Amino acid sequence: MADTTLMMPSTSTATWADDAAPTQQVRSYWQSVGYRLRHDPVTLFFGLVVVLIVLAAIFAPWIAPFDPYKESIVGRLKPFGYRGHPLGTDELGRDLLSRLIYGGRSSLLMSIIPVLCATAIGGTLGVIGGFGGRAANTIIMRTMDVFYAFPSVLLAVALSGAMGGGMTSGMISLALVFIPAICRIAETATTQIRNLDFIEAAHASGAGTLTIIRHHVLGNVLGPVFVYASSLVSVAILLGSGLSFLGLGVKPPQADWGLMLSTLRQSIYINPILCALPGAAIFVTSICFNLVSDGIRAAMDVRL
Amino acid sequence: MLSLIFRRILYALPIAIGVSVVCFSLVYLAPGDPLQTILPADASADTIALIKHEYGFDRPIPVQYALWLWRVLHGDFGVSISTRRPVLLEVAGSLHNTAILALFSVPLSFGLGYAMGAIAGCFPGKWIDRIVTGTAVMGVSLPNYWVGIVFVILFSVEWMVLPATGMGLHGSDQFDILSWSDARFLILPVVTLAMVPIGILSRSTRAAVSEIRGQDFVVTLRAKGLSEPAIIRHVLKNSLPPVMAVMGLQFGYLMGGSILVETVFTWPGSGFLLSKAIINRDIPVLQGCILALAMVFVATNLVVDLLQAAIDPRIRRA
Amino acid sequence: MRHKLRLFTSSVAIAAATCVTVPAIAGGVLTVAMTAGDIAVTTGTPDQGFEGFRFVGWSLYDGLVNWDLSKSDAASDIKPGLATSWNIDPEDGKRWIIHLREGVKFHDGCTFGADDVVWNFGRIADPKAPQFFTQQYALNRAYTTNYAGIEKIDDHTVAIKTNFVESLFPYTLSYIPMISRCRAEALKYDWNAYSLNPSGTGPYRYDRFVAHERLEFVPNKEYWDAKRIPHQDRLVILPMPEGGTRVAALLTGQVNFIEAPPPDTMPRLKAAGMQLITNTYPHNWPFILNFKKGPFTDERVRQAANHAMNRDDMVDLLGGYAIPEYAMVPPTMPYYGHPARYEFNVDKATALLKEAKCYPCKITLAISTSGSGQMQPLPMNELVKAQLEAVGFQVDFKVMDWNSLIEIARSGVDKYPDIDGYNGSRALLDPVSSLIKPVARAYWSPAGSNWGHFYSEDTEQTVHDILNEFDATKRLALVTKLHELESQHAVMIFIVHDVNPRALSPKVHGFVQAQNWFQDLTPISVDP
Repeated sequence: MADTTLMMPSTSTATWADDAAPTQQVRSYWQSVGYRLRHDPVTLFFGLVVVLIVLAAIFAPWIAPFDPYKESIVGRLKPFGYRGHPLGTDELGRDLLSRLIYGGRSSLLMSIIPVLCATAIGGTLGVIGGFGGRAANTIIMRTMDVFYAFPSVLLAVALSGAMGGGMTSGMISLALVFIPAICRIAETATTQIRNLDFIEAAHASGAGTLTIIRHHVLGNVLGPVFVYASSLVSVAILLGSGLSFLGLGVKPPQADWGLMLSTLRQSIYINPILCALPGAAIFVTSICFNLVSDGIRAAMDVRL
Repeated sequence: MLSLIFRRILYALPIAIGVSVVCFSLVYLAPGDPLQTILPADASADTIALIKHEYGFDRPIPVQYALWLWRVLHGDFGVSISTRRPVLLEVAGSLHNTAILALFSVPLSFGLGYAMGAIAGCFPGKWIDRIVTGTAVMGVSLPNYWVGIVFVILFSVEWMVLPATGMGLHGSDQFDILSWSDARFLILPVVTLAMVPIGILSRSTRAAVSEIRGQDFVVTLRAKGLSEPAIIRHVLKNSLPPVMAVMGLQFGYLMGGSILVETVFTWPGSGFLLSKAIINRDIPVLQGCILALAMVFVATNLVVDLLQAAIDPRIRRA
Repeated sequence: MRHKLRLFTSSVAIAAATCVTVPAIAGGVLTVAMTAGDIAVTTGTPDQGFEGFRFVGWSLYDGLVNWDLSKSDAASDIKPGLATSWNIDPEDGKRWIIHLREGVKFHDGCTFGADDVVWNFGRIADPKAPQFFTQQYALNRAYTTNYAGIEKIDDHTVAIKTNFVESLFPYTLSYIPMISRCRAEALKYDWNAYSLNPSGTGPYRYDRFVAHERLEFVPNKEYWDAKRIPHQDRLVILPMPEGGTRVAALLTGQVNFIEAPPPDTMPRLKAAGMQLITNTYPHNWPFILNFKKGPFTDERVRQAANHAMNRDDMVDLLGGYAIPEYAMVPPTMPYYGHPARYEFNVDKATALLKEAKCYPCKITLAISTSGSGQMQPLPMNELVKAQLEAVGFQVDFKVMDWNSLIEIARSGVDKYPDIDGYNGSRALLDPVSSLIKPVARAYWSPAGSNWGHFYSEDTEQTVHDILNEFDATKRLALVTKLHELESQHAVMIFIVHDVNPRALSPKVHGFVQAQNWFQDLTPISVDP
C-alpha cells in the first residue's frame, strides 16, 4: 500500500548505478521509458491530439478562419455553416470556430502556467523540506497541511474571488492550490532517497549537500513530481475554466472556453448545440491530457 | 486506540488554527472596500466612517483577527454585510442543503465507483476493465458544470420533464424528500455531482484491487487452495483503507467543491452561498462559509484516518 | 409628449392588448422571478436597487408620498400616500407641512400617526436616537441630504425642515417607507428579528421568508386604499439573476412572472404562449462623462460622440427591446420639450472631432460586465466601441465587475481622473435625480452624483430657479428648459432607454405595466 511501498520508480536507482556497473543493464531507465511510450498507441494518439491543440492555440492567428472579436449584429447565434462560419456564430455574431481556437490560448495558459509555477515552487519547498532538517521540514510541511485542509475547488474559488477575479488572480490561486500536493510528493521522494545507501556513500566521499541534491536527489525526485504535475494539467483545465465560468477568471471580451460556456449558456433556447461546444472543448482537452499523463506514468513506472 | 484518537486530534488542532488564519486573511486579498456594496452611491466620508466602525473594520488587523477568532470560538461568526443576518445561521442552513445533495451523491458515487473499480480490478486487461477504465477517465475529465448545462438543455428545455433550478416547490426549508414534486429537484444536481467522484473512485479502487491481487499473500492464499470468492473477499477487504482515504477526499469535494454545480442549478447550498458572498463582497459570509467547509474537510479526514486505523492494524502501529 | 408617443405605440399596444383585461376570477399565487441576486432587506428602505423597492419595499410599506402606477399609457407621477396633502410653509420656504392620512393601521394593528413619522426619520437620520439603524441610514443617505429635522404639529400633521429651498422635496418623500414603531419597539430594536417580522401599512403582509431563496406575502385585506387590495391569494418573489434561469423557470411552470427575459429568448417564449410586455420607463443607458480632464471637456467632442451613435443598430442588437435615446429622459416624460437631437451622422462627428483638434481622439471608458439596469453591457459596449471608432475615436475599455464600477461612480472624477467616462444606467423617476443631480454644482462627486463635475452658468441658474419655484406649471416649464439645456451641452453620450420587458404566463391576468421603475402587482390574478 501507499504507506508500505516506496513511492519511487522501481528502477530509478539504476540511473545512479549505471556508472558503476553499466553492463548489468540491457536498457537504461530512460531508454525503457521511451520504448514503452513508443509501444503505447493510446498515449501516442492522445499525445498527438494534445500537440495539435497546443499548436492550434499557438498559431491561432494563422489558423482561425475569422477575427474572433469581429461581431456582426445580423449574424448572431447562427447554425453550423452559416456564411462560411464552420461552427456558426456566438451571441455577438463572432465566428465560433475562431473563438474556440483562440479560447484554447487562455484556457491552456491558465492551466499550464499554474502547474509549472506550482511544480517549481512546490518541488523546491519539498526538497528543502526533505533535506533541510527537522525545523524546515516542520514549518514547510505543516504550512502545506493547512492549505491541504481546503477542498481544492473551494480554495481556488475563494482565493480568486477574494482577489477580485481576473486571469492573473485565477492563475495565482490555481498555483497556490497545487503547491501543497506537489510539495508533499517531492518531500516524500526526497526523504526516502535521503536514507538510501548511495546518498550516504556520496556524503562519505565528501560531496557537499548541494552537489548531492543536484546529482542524486533531483534526478530521483523529478520523476514522481513530473508525473504528478502532468496529471494536474487536466485538473487545472477543469478548474481554470470553472473559475472563468463563475466570472472569476478570464474577463470578457477575451475568448476563453469557460467564459464562452457561461455567456452562451444564456442562449440555450436558440441554439443549444453552440452552447455545448466550449464545454466539449474543455472536456476533450482535459481527457487528452489525462490519458497522456496516464501513459507517461505507466511508462515511467511511477506510483503516487 | 484512545491515545491514537487523542494524537490525531492534537495534530488536527494547529491545522485548524492555520485554516482560521487563511480564512481571516481573505479580507485583505480583496481589493476595494469590503463595505462598498452596502454604501449608498454617494456616501460621504462620515457615512463610510460610521459604518466601518459599526462593522469593526476600523481596527488594526491583528486585533480584528483576535476579536474574530474569539467570537468564532463562541459560535459567533458575525453578521452578513448584505443581509445583516447572523453568518452562522446562513452557513448552517446552506450546509444543510449541501448535505442533502451529498446524502444522495455519496452512496451513488461511492457505491457505483467502488463496484466498477472492484470489477475492473478483478479482471485486469479484460473488456470489462477497458470499459470501466475508459468511463473512469471520462468521469475524471468531465467539466461537471458543463454536464449540468447539458442536462438542463435536455431534461428541462427540450423535454421539460425535470425542473432546471431551485430546491423544491416551496423553498429549501419546506423541502420534502418524500414527495415526488420536491424530490425531482434533486435528480439533476445529484447525478451531475456524482460524475467526477465515480470516475475518481473507480480509478483508485481498480488500482488498489489489482495491486493487492498481485501481492504475495494473495498468491499464498491461492496456493492454499482458497476458493476464488473467498480470495476476492480478502482482496476487497485489504483494498478498503486506501479507497477510504480517497472517499474522504471526495466527501470533502462533495461538501465544498459543489460550488459550480450548485451555481448551475441554483441549489441553495454552501457553494451557492459562497458564490453569492463573492459577488456581493460579503466578507463575513465568505470567511464563515470557507471556515465551516474547511472544518468539515479536516474533520472528515480525521474520521477517515481513524477508520483506516480501525480496519488496518498496521496503520495503528505507525 | 403627445407628438412623441408614436414611437412607442407598438410597445404600448402590446401592453394594452395583453394586460388591460378584466380578471375573470380573482385569486391564485403570483410567483415572480426577479433579476436581483438576492432578496432585498425588509427593514424599511430596501437594498437591491429599485427592484428592491418594486417587489419588497412597496409591497410591505407606503411612503408619505406614493407613486401612481395605475396607467400604462402616461408617465407616472407621485400621488398622496400616507400623507393626504402637503404644502410649503407660507412664511418659511424651508419648512414643509405634511397632513397625514387618518385611520390607517399597520399590519400589527397599531394606528399610524405623526409620532410614527417622527420616529421613522429618527431611525434613518438621527444617530443619537435609540431607533437609529446604520443600515437604514446608509440606504437612505441619498434621500436625506436635504433633510434638516422634523417636528410634530398635531397627531395628524408634521413639519419637515430642509437645509435649502427645494420645491421638489415631496419627491424625496416617495423613497422613504414608513415602518411600524410598535413592532420595532416590541422587538426591542433587534433589527434581525424585525426583518423576520416586519410590519408596515402596505398592500401585502409578510408571510414567509427563506434566506436567499424566496419571500412570500399575503394580501393585506384591510389596506387603506380599497382599490389596491391584492386580487391574488399570495405573492412569492424569487431572486434569479441569470436570464436563462428565469426563462427556464417560466417555461417549466416554476414561476409565472419574470423580469427582463433576454431578448434572444423572446421568440421561444412567444411560441410557448407567454405574454411579453414592454413599456417605456424613465431609464437611460448612457456614458457619464469627465468634465474635468480629457477630451470630453470640449463640448464639440461630446457632440461628436453623440453623432457617432447609430442607435437603431443598438435597438436591433437588443431584438427591438429598447428605445433610441436622444436626450436625458424618454420623450414620454412631461418635461421632454424640444431638445437638440444628435442624429447618427459619421461625417458631422468626424468634422466636430477635427474642429476640436482631437483626431484621432483617444478615450478611456469604464464598463461593467453586469449590473442592475445595465441591460447587456458587454455586447452593447462592443457596438458602442465600434461606432465610436468609426468616426475617429480610439476607445480603451476598462472592463470590470459591477462593484468595481460602483466604486468608480461613487468615488468621483477626482479619484479617477484618467477615466473619460463610464457606462452607468440611470433611474430617472423624478426631475431631481434625472436632471438636477447630474449637472448641479451642489452634487459634485464624491458628495453627489455629478460624477464628472459638470458646471455651466445657464444650467446652474435654471436649477436654482426650479428649486425656488413652487408653482407646478411654471416649474414644469423651467424643468423642460433644463432638459433642453442639458441636451445642448451634450452632458452625456445618449444611447438607449430600456423598455423593461417582462414575460408572464398566459394564466396571469390584470397586470398594467406603468411607465415607472416601480410596478403595482395588486390587480393581478392567476388562474389555477
